[in-house]
Amino acid sequence: MEDALLKVKEVSKHFGGVYAVNSVSLDINHGGICGLVGPNGSGKTTLFNTILGLHKPDQGEIYFQDKSIINLAPHAIYERGLVNAFQIPRLFFSLSVMDNMLVAARGQEGDRLFNSLFLRNRWQKQEKGLIEQALDILELVELEPWAFSPAAELSGGQRKLLEIGRALMAKPRLLLLDEPAAGINPVLAKNIFQKLKALSDSGMALFIVEHRLEILFEFATWVYVMDKGTIAIAGQPQAIIDNPAFYTIYLGEE
Amino acid sequence: MDPLLYVLDLIVFIGIFGIVSLSLNLEFGFAGLANFGKVAFFLIGGYTYALLSQTGIPFYFCLIASALVSAIFGLLISLPALRLRADYLAIAILAFGEILRLIVKSEDWLAGGDWGVTVARAISIEGAPHRVDALINIGLVYFCLLIFFVVIQLLANSPYGRAMRAIREDEVAAEVMGKNRTKFKAQALMLGSAMAGVAGALYVQYMYSVLPGMFMPMITFTVWIMVLLGGPGNNWGVLLGAALVQVFERGTNIAKDYIDLPVDPSNLQYILFGALIIFVLLYRPHGLLKESKVRSKAQRLAYNGRRAAKSKGS
Repeated sequence: MEDALLKVKEVSKHFGGVYAVNSVSLDINHGGICGLVGPNGSGKTTLFNTILGLHKPDQGEIYFQDKSIINLAPHAIYERGLVNAFQIPRLFFSLSVMDNMLVAARGQEGDRLFNSLFLRNRWQKQEKGLIEQALDILELVELEPWAFSPAAELSGGQRKLLEIGRALMAKPRLLLLDEPAAGINPVLAKNIFQKLKALSDSGMALFIVEHRLEILFEFATWVYVMDKGTIAIAGQPQAIIDNPAFYTIYLGEE
Repeated sequence: MDPLLYVLDLIVFIGIFGIVSLSLNLEFGFAGLANFGKVAFFLIGGYTYALLSQTGIPFYFCLIASALVSAIFGLLISLPALRLRADYLAIAILAFGEILRLIVKSEDWLAGGDWGVTVARAISIEGAPHRVDALINIGLVYFCLLIFFVVIQLLANSPYGRAMRAIREDEVAAEVMGKNRTKFKAQALMLGSAMAGVAGALYVQYMYSVLPGMFMPMITFTVWIMVLLGGPGNNWGVLLGAALVQVFERGTNIAKDYIDLPVDPSNLQYILFGALIIFVLLYRPHGLLKESKVRSKAQRLAYNGRRAAKSKGS
């Protein structure tokens, strides 16, 4: 595990006196789907937000591609390819679906004040390619017919799909997904996991929080189980299922 | 008074306030910054122009200097202010404007204190009639307005403008999607301040004078009404708003000479302004014109291409 993509080392984060994340260490490898499960309030989302740079950890180190990222601003972490899709979609609602997608693309030439005014040809050429890419992803998440509608007009499930699609637009090296299947119909959810699996086979790493265990365990290559802010169990999905401690954590009692 | 001159004067004012509304549209309409200190940058531009033009520097240098000095102040205030939440930012900048006005009012050495100083017109032809003078000013003001309009329009329809709108919608989401929100906001404030500075410079040279009384907080609110009425996020809309508010202001000023009122008419004007804001926010919360969509060339092509394909299919 020397060359893991993301290394979290003894990271702790507490709010007031409560340790939301308590000395968590884990590795995410290149490619593959890694799952993160655990009961509500076990610290999964806090761990995600700490990795993203939204919270600064109280202790510990986080390395992405062997470089420490705990002192980087979230936008700088994003530009390195560590991308997130929120559990509750945080779309730019008055913008169109297409604009939501295009905002997310990494390394845009026209993102700078000077370029946007004076290097118009350069970013317009890039923009053309990005639109093609966006339409492809929108087709994948079945939102293509709404490409030019305002994001506010989408239904709850479609918003979730756009949140995921938007994250894919960044061509992430590592994609953090917080409950991607929640609120999406089972067939489409499975479909999306299959697409994500294909992406992971082509080299993208995924780190997924999911309560729909039957889907997650089918596709995950490795699973971490969190309980009360710590990693309680880690292993391959089958090993987790066979571990009686898992049921105690997840269901409370047998 | 010559009625034509009155109309020309109105057109000049619409142009000057059009520039200020465009600048507030950039800050509030696109970047979501509640700048309640617009008049501060209007003042800085005006005083910079007045002080520099006295030294005999050509007017275009003075105009550019007004833009630069205002932009620098915009950047300076953005450093502490952008760490504040929207409502606190509004209060902080509002106070900044009042502090500046009180400074120029009490420091007599700076520009005549409360009495102000006279300022020469940027371009003046010896012995020309007032109408020609007004026309020259219309040319100057609308030339600046055109430049700013094109710049803001280009920005709004570029990835930069899209990122700005994303920050307005949800700044945390935009930040984790790779947009440096502090940078974007500081740039919006700098650019907006530079524009307001130029407008202030045009204003003082047109009024032949600069004095603290010209920069009351009411100016900020008037500009806000223009933007809210016209439609935040729509550059044509805010220009329409600027024109309508100016006509309304002038119209009520004329009307008060013909209608006998039990209250002080100048106070009534403020009351009407207040009612107008409430009316707009209740019945047209997006303003008269809706926010314009981001339309880069590539997007327009993709959109039209799809529409064509659809109509062929059906």
